Amino acid sequence: MKLEFLPWLILFLPLLSAATITLFTQKNRELSARLSIGAIVLCFALSILFIAANGWEPLKKETLVTWLEVGDLQLDFGLRLDPLSLLMVLVVTGVGGAIHIFSWGYMREDRAFSRYFACLSLFTFSMLGVVLANNFLLMFIFWELVGVSSYLLIGHWFERASAADAAKKAFITNRLGDFGFMLGILIVWALGGGLNFSLIEDQLRQNPALFGSMTTAAGLLIFCGAVGKSAQFPLHVWLPDAMEGPTPVSALIHAATMVAAGVYLLCRVFFIFNTPALHVIAWVGGATALMAALMAVQQDDIKRILAYSTLSQLGYMVMAVGVASPTPAMYHLTTHAFFKALLFLGAGSVIHALHHEQDIWKMGALSKKMPMTFATFVVGAAALCGVPGFSGFFSKDEIIAAALNPRHGSLGLFLLAAGVAMLTTFYMSRLVLVAFFGPARSDDADQAQESPKVMTLPLLALAVPSALAGFFGIAQLYGKQLGEAHSSFQVLAMAASLGAVVFGLALAWGLYWRAEKDPLPEKIGPLARMLRNRFYFDELYEATVIKLHDTIAAIAEWFDQWIVAGLMVRGAHGTTELFGRALRLAQTGNLQTYAFLFVLGVAVVLYLVLGK
Amino acid sequence: MTTLTLIFVLPLLAAVALAFVPRNYRFVMRLVTLATTLLVALLAVTLFWRFNADDAGYRFVTTIPFLGAESLGIHCRLGVDGINVGLILMGAIVAFAAACVSWEIREREKEFYMLLLVMTGGILGAFASLDLFFFYFLHELALVPTFIMIGVWGRGENKNYATFKITLYLSLGALIALIGLIALYLQLPPNQRTFDIGEITNYFKANPMPDRAQRSIFALLLFGFGILVSLWPFHTWAPLGYGSAPTATAMLHAGVLKKFGLYGLIRVALPLLSQGARAPVIPPEAFAHFPLWLLPESIQSYLQSMGWFDLLALLCLGNILYCGFVALRQRDLNLLIGNSSVAHMGFVFLGIASLSLVGVTGAVVVMIAHGFLAALTFGLSGYLYQQTRTLDMTQMSGLLQRLPFIGAAMVMAMLAGCGLPGFANFVGEVMVFFGTWKSGLGAAQQLVAAAAWGGLIVGAVYMLRAVRNILHGPVAEKCESVTDANSWRRLPFVLLLAALFVFGFFPKVLTEKIRPGAALIVDMANGGNQGTPVKPPAGVNVVQTTTPSEVK
Repeated sequence: MKLEFLPWLILFLPLLSAATITLFTQKNRELSARLSIGAIVLCFALSILFIAANGWEPLKKETLVTWLEVGDLQLDFGLRLDPLSLLMVLVVTGVGGAIHIFSWGYMREDRAFSRYFACLSLFTFSMLGVVLANNFLLMFIFWELVGVSSYLLIGHWFERASAADAAKKAFITNRLGDFGFMLGILIVWALGGGLNFSLIEDQLRQNPALFGSMTTAAGLLIFCGAVGKSAQFPLHVWLPDAMEGPTPVSALIHAATMVAAGVYLLCRVFFIFNTPALHVIAWVGGATALMAALMAVQQDDIKRILAYSTLSQLGYMVMAVGVASPTPAMYHLTTHAFFKALLFLGAGSVIHALHHEQDIWKMGALSKKMPMTFATFVVGAAALCGVPGFSGFFSKDEIIAAALNPRHGSLGLFLLAAGVAMLTTFYMSRLVLVAFFGPARSDDADQAQESPKVMTLPLLALAVPSALAGFFGIAQLYGKQLGEAHSSFQVLAMAASLGAVVFGLALAWGLYWRAEKDPLPEKIGPLARMLRNRFYFDELYEATVIKLHDTIAAIAEWFDQWIVAGLMVRGAHGTTELFGRALRLAQTGNLQTYAFLFVLGVAVVLYLVLGK
Repeated sequence: MTTLTLIFVLPLLAAVALAFVPRNYRFVMRLVTLATTLLVALLAVTLFWRFNADDAGYRFVTTIPFLGAESLGIHCRLGVDGINVGLILMGAIVAFAAACVSWEIREREKEFYMLLLVMTGGILGAFASLDLFFFYFLHELALVPTFIMIGVWGRGENKNYATFKITLYLSLGALIALIGLIALYLQLPPNQRTFDIGEITNYFKANPMPDRAQRSIFALLLFGFGILVSLWPFHTWAPLGYGSAPTATAMLHAGVLKKFGLYGLIRVALPLLSQGARAPVIPPEAFAHFPLWLLPESIQSYLQSMGWFDLLALLCLGNILYCGFVALRQRDLNLLIGNSSVAHMGFVFLGIASLSLVGVTGAVVVMIAHGFLAALTFGLSGYLYQQTRTLDMTQMSGLLQRLPFIGAAMVMAMLAGCGLPGFANFVGEVMVFFGTWKSGLGAAQQLVAAAAWGGLIVGAVYMLRAVRNILHGPVAEKCESVTDANSWRRLPFVLLLAALFVFGFFPKVLTEKIRPGAALIVDMANGGNQGTPVKPPAGVNVVQTTTPSEVK
């Protein structure tokens, strides 16, 4: 393999930049930003160089050093190089690079500019680690690091209580998922005899019953990790709150890359899942897709609409894995990274122009004032809705087709997928119609101006793949590794998704064209309220899980204070003191008492000696 | 004099020298303390660096001729293997950091620094000692200053009660451990009695101790040492004591001294007494008297076969989960950190109870990592207390805005505490889980491992709540006028963080040194005294070791 050092350089450059900024260039804002942007752009260039030199399938699939070796636990620090990881490296560095550059403009006035870029670089390092890791535990390590960089970035404006809370919530919810992930890893290690993906895959190929009765459990526990990171039901609650972070962060982490890591994990270890596990995965994904799409319909915050849309699309991808079609899942992940990053950055551009106004009902008429943002945003929205010709059309189509796949899919999943596609078009059309058309509904919207070049150029750069990624042959590349997606229901799927787009658009047009306020709450009443309140999941968790947790803590503390420290310690203390007091009674300090006791003692001794 | 001797003797000599420094020469006193601890730390680093662990066995063995009593078999022998070389390194670095933060002491400085140096020399000597007598005696030498320091320089209204409680508990623990050690000594035949740990180990390797004796001595050591390490339910002294202790004392005790009990378990109890300790704790007769048939079958059989190690694994859940939940309720930052430090000890106990190479190595890594971490967190909370005069978390808020460095270090410490990769703690904890999961003790152990891993979630909850309360959010009134640390005061924190990062990024540096020593101990613990590292299931071992005792 040529240029074997390159993947290592690609992985560690962002870490180097993060460390340099943290240790040395905190004070110099410009230099910090340059370092961070330079690192990721260089990574992108080096990845292309590496792929140009070695092709998509390098001769040597892994390059590693031993990181830890004790007894039967051997942990390699190794990089896995195959189409799956290399393409993801391109996505992470490419989309990430555009977002880094956009941040330069967007975060310009921020007090903690340097810290922001240091965290961004740390995130890039961790994400590249997740993508390149060649074994379960190493992936888990980077998995956690991704979680912590997300924590730091959501809490970037930590002086705001809401941001600090959101950061905490995201980290803890992710931890819950990681609990299962680690147990899954332990099962795999104990029964499979190692941690490397390739080793386990080979072993499973030779002996499909390697894990015996634990096969389903191992698969589902590993899936727990993906549920946390990719915000699937029931751990989806953290992602909408994560929008408290700066908008470019939402674009990079909570749309394009980190949340996709769960799907990437599922595809990476696809060999481990058996049919029952896949069924669970498919339905969890489907349920998330539907639920989140419904919630998106009644949100007013531009970033939250996009956040629920992300949830919904992630549900799609997970469902695709669940119907045994990892190739469409990865394909959709890639196109989604382009167009969702684009949409978020577009939203960021709008928010920036409107002085941090995020309510779409206070926008309007932006299509003329911000033409570049508008044009690119529409491209992104079209790709998301799956308008024919745009990238999302191809990838989503394959998922809908795969849902009908007789062995793992079902009619229910197919209808669900089509329904979600319709809802997607509906809420995205609502967003575009309300925010960009109609009258300007606030002064800020009236005086909005197009954002500077440093922000619009990244939009343009992302708009190109969002529109055209369907023609790049991405699916074939993934197919090389994960197996070609082939379905005999292409035509039916295409018809369904076309119908969904037309129907959703028509519905939104009828309701929202030049609308002053949202007509839906009047029409569907309580249902709208439920959607607006996200089916009360947060309240439910607050009342059950968190309450339970706090009650256990209260009981433990009570026990500690009153039983362990109280009865046991003070009891022992009390007994000792009782003895002390009793003895003290004998010490009266009165000479006559002493003399009396002395005489009494002598008498007793004399009796004992002489009395016999 | 060898490096090892210097590490042990220098602080004690410096303490004596300080006695002759006039009381108002504050600068000299600080300088002597700092220079001594720095020198010791540097020596410990070179010792660690030079230690190569190609095979098991002690290195750099030296005997100090003047100390000890020939006729009683007491020699002051020092030496290191993989188990204690890292502990000495950690202890020396923490001691230097503790000396650095002692600027907060403003009264009776002379005595304070003398006690600090005695603590340092005592505990490093205890770790380095290869002689059971000095091993125990030097720890006591280091322990007594703790009580005095909390009593005299402590803070808060609970100071006296805390001093009282910690003295009572730790003296009791040390006493029980002493009884256990004496009982162990008496198991040697009169003409071969020695305090030399190596010789004792060899003797019992050749002539295993009767099973029954092993079992009772193990119990004494487990609970004696356990109390010293705040094993649940003997843990309540720890949060309270650390909450009232001066910063440097809390750092040294929670970081270094507390590890002595664990070190004793690994060094003495694990190799010599494991076979007997596996026998059921509850005698079969007892089952006749209790209506145990009410319990499910699986629990019944578990209780019947439960050895000391199984019980230890259960107790450490008390540490990890229960104390985690208690920490969740604390309003005082030091009580929170104290409870979390108790919780972390559970991971070490779990590693020891796993009786596997991965688990025991992991336990030693956790000991070292936690030493750095505990010193770091207590040092930082001491700094905060200096600035705000309170550690009540409801009165502190938004500190990260005012204290970028201290705040960032605190965030890192909290993240390290909830087991984030990149810090040394993660490496140790993961190894403990892996070791426990695959240990030969059955399915119950896997449940314990899963529950303990759940403890890290609880850990994340209270750590992040603390970050959210004191560092994030708007700046509280009380925190308006705080100032960040200058570069000199940053030094100890930077040092401790760097240590956590180095071992977190390159765990091999540590594990490669620990492994041979740990392998030897685990082999012996698993009955590999024929020299084969086999690990037969627990039941078989019990039969093997009971036979000789029955023959006698």
